[in-house]
Amino acid sequence: MPAAQKNLSPLCQLPAGATGRVWELKGDENFCQRIREMGFNEAALVTKISGSTTSLCQINGTRLALSHAAAMNIIVEKLPSAAR
Amino acid sequence: MADLPSHISLPGKKRPHQANERTPVYALVGNPNCGKSTLFNALTGLKQKVGNYPGVTVEKKIGETYSQHGKPIKLIDLPGAYSLAARSPDEAVTRDVLLGRRADTPQPDRILCIIDASNLERNLYLVHQLLDLGRPVILVLNMMDLALKAGLQVHASRLEKELGVPVIACEAINGKGLVDLKLAMSRVDLSLAKHRWDVPAQVAPAVAELQASLTDSDGRSPLVARAEALLLLTDFDTVRVAGSTPLSPRTHEILAHWQKRWEGEGTDWAGTLVASRYDAIAKICTDVVQSSGEVGPSISDKIDAVVVHPFWGWLVFGGIMTALFISIFTLAQYPMDWIDAGMSALGDWVKRSMTPGELRDLLTAGVIGGAGSVLVFLPQILILYFFIGLLENTGYMARAAFIMDRLMSRVGLNGKSFIPLLGSYACAIPGIMATRTIEDPKDRLVTILVAPLMSCSARLPVYLLLIAALLPTDAIFTKVGIMIAMYALGTSGAFGFAWLFKRTLLKGKPPMMIMELPPYRLPRLRDIALHMFERAGLFLRKAGTVILGISIVLWFLTTYPKLPDPAATSTQQIAHSFAGQAGHLLEPMIKPLGFDWRIGIGLITSFAAREVFVNSMGVVFGVEGADDDTTPLRDALRQATWPDGAPVFTALVCITLMVFYVFAMQCVSTLAVVRRETNSWRWPLFQTFYMTGTAWLVCFVIYQTGRALGY
Repeated sequence: MPAAQKNLSPLCQLPAGATGRVWELKGDENFCQRIREMGFNEAALVTKISGSTTSLCQINGTRLALSHAAAMNIIVEKLPSAAR
Repeated sequence: MADLPSHISLPGKKRPHQANERTPVYALVGNPNCGKSTLFNALTGLKQKVGNYPGVTVEKKIGETYSQHGKPIKLIDLPGAYSLAARSPDEAVTRDVLLGRRADTPQPDRILCIIDASNLERNLYLVHQLLDLGRPVILVLNMMDLALKAGLQVHASRLEKELGVPVIACEAINGKGLVDLKLAMSRVDLSLAKHRWDVPAQVAPAVAELQASLTDSDGRSPLVARAEALLLLTDFDTVRVAGSTPLSPRTHEILAHWQKRWEGEGTDWAGTLVASRYDAIAKICTDVVQSSGEVGPSISDKIDAVVVHPFWGWLVFGGIMTALFISIFTLAQYPMDWIDAGMSALGDWVKRSMTPGELRDLLTAGVIGGAGSVLVFLPQILILYFFIGLLENTGYMARAAFIMDRLMSRVGLNGKSFIPLLGSYACAIPGIMATRTIEDPKDRLVTILVAPLMSCSARLPVYLLLIAALLPTDAIFTKVGIMIAMYALGTSGAFGFAWLFKRTLLKGKPPMMIMELPPYRLPRLRDIALHMFERAGLFLRKAGTVILGISIVLWFLTTYPKLPDPAATSTQQIAHSFAGQAGHLLEPMIKPLGFDWRIGIGLITSFAAREVFVNSMGVVFGVEGADDDTTPLRDALRQATWPDGAPVFTALVCITLMVFYVFAMQCVSTLAVVRRETNSWRWPLFQTFYMTGTAWLVCFVIYQTGRALGY
């Protein structure tokens, strides 16, 4: 499915309790590299727990806190609840 | 085939045991929060040496344990890292020690890698990089209990088969699996991993070229050279720390060539390399991990529902911080009084036992008085470290940083800066040392620059004395109010300057914080106690060396040159001394703030440690035992006058002086640590200038406005 038809948003805008699939990583190389190494690979599933300024989310069983700027650079595709 | 260390054999080839084996050196490596420190403590107990890697404020921990046959094994506890592609000085040290880039640390013969079984996939990323190094590796599969609770069945034997290295299932926190681990560590003939990782074909020529250069020009063994080549290609903007051997120009040239070529082609090989490692790991995990499906919310989930809640989270945070400060200021008072009494008794004993003279004065006023006035803060520092240890051990510290991130982001910093700033309430030195986990160099520098503005415990006696001089009656609520106001002023100053620096001098991108929140655990009091004693040892070493030395110099400066008249009072003597002369010299500069030359002496001596101000005022005003009971000194301060008879310590001057102590940079030890941390004199000098300049300016405004208003 083309990107335009997908339900894409930055991680910080994903509602609490929703799960998304990592679609794209933006920002500088170092940031992308580090978060990839921490499991934020394209296609990884991430669940938002809480937060709008600072995001709290769960990925691969790990709970991670991300600053607003970091969460803005992670573009996720929101999955319908049945697909999780 | 590469030359391997003497104790390593290739798979299938056993080597007879030799009687005079060299002590094997193990590096203990792992992701943060995977139980590495607990395992290190469990293996080494009290046989640990804590120091620093030369030139960089990263802690170097070396311990000793024994094999099943009673032979010593050396263990280097390396800082926690998610990857060998370092993003902070801590991680850079881990990378450099493993790659043999540090001349000050032996390259480990073997690697003991601890991984969190409940989060295998991410932890295996570092393992995957470590296996590239071609050193024997033992994997410790920790937190098996947490994995089970999360509905994950992790098969250690399958992982062992997949990777070809010993895998020991363990629960370090309960001591389970340690015997098996010791048995594995005792093996003389650990085989190399059968791990073979095919790098993407398009990257292979670059890896081969870099590997050849690292072998020929940088003296690496071929296996380490291959691992380092892969690392260099995924780590373009590498973090370098002092003490790390630089790469040869030829390797640099090759690296630059490939980077330029790939940039031109628009190919993200670094991302591809990470993805291909994760692909390999995913295949391993499919065989090794079985999930029992959906499980209900864990205890951590339930606690987090309250602790990171937008409203309840702040209440919990406020409650914990209040408990911390009440403990520091009330509980610590008892042991502080005992130390005070002990030092006074020691001073009295020396006075009784020796005949009056220079040596006796040096011992009582210089050595016992000087070092004693600093030692008295040991209980407060221990309590602070107990709390910090407790918060870290239970997993709350990361939550506190998460909660504070919102506030910190307003001044351009992130939640990770909160932990160093909290530590600075006890002492800026450990606070500054704690900045090493902040990845962004600018954020780290800003945190270092503002950390000394947080009112440290050394300012406490100064505030207490001046509040007592200001309010001799028992106006307890007003006193507490003033004290809180001073702490709030320092904290606001730190945040204000952080905001200013992030917008001017150290302009940077918005903070990209990403921080793991570990699961909650019951605290291990043994680990906390070990941590506290380590800190106490470091503090006592500092008090016994630097501060003692400075105290002796200060004693000399306040004692010499002697007045010819033996009947001269101590006040006359101090006015005549080098310190007195310096105070007089300083007076024109501090008079606009309402301070006289005697306060000037206090300000000068405070450079040894701020609390020395109380001691100095005791000496200047001829009050014996000012450290034990401030009442006579308080009365002496209230009676002090200018030559025209006007009182020196008016309410306005007391407030102004406290504000001066809030902002001024007066601690030589902190400056020395900042110099070591930033590897230059530029930043400690800047810090001295901006803090002391602000102190002068703010005090000038307060004093002159107060005077104009008739106070």
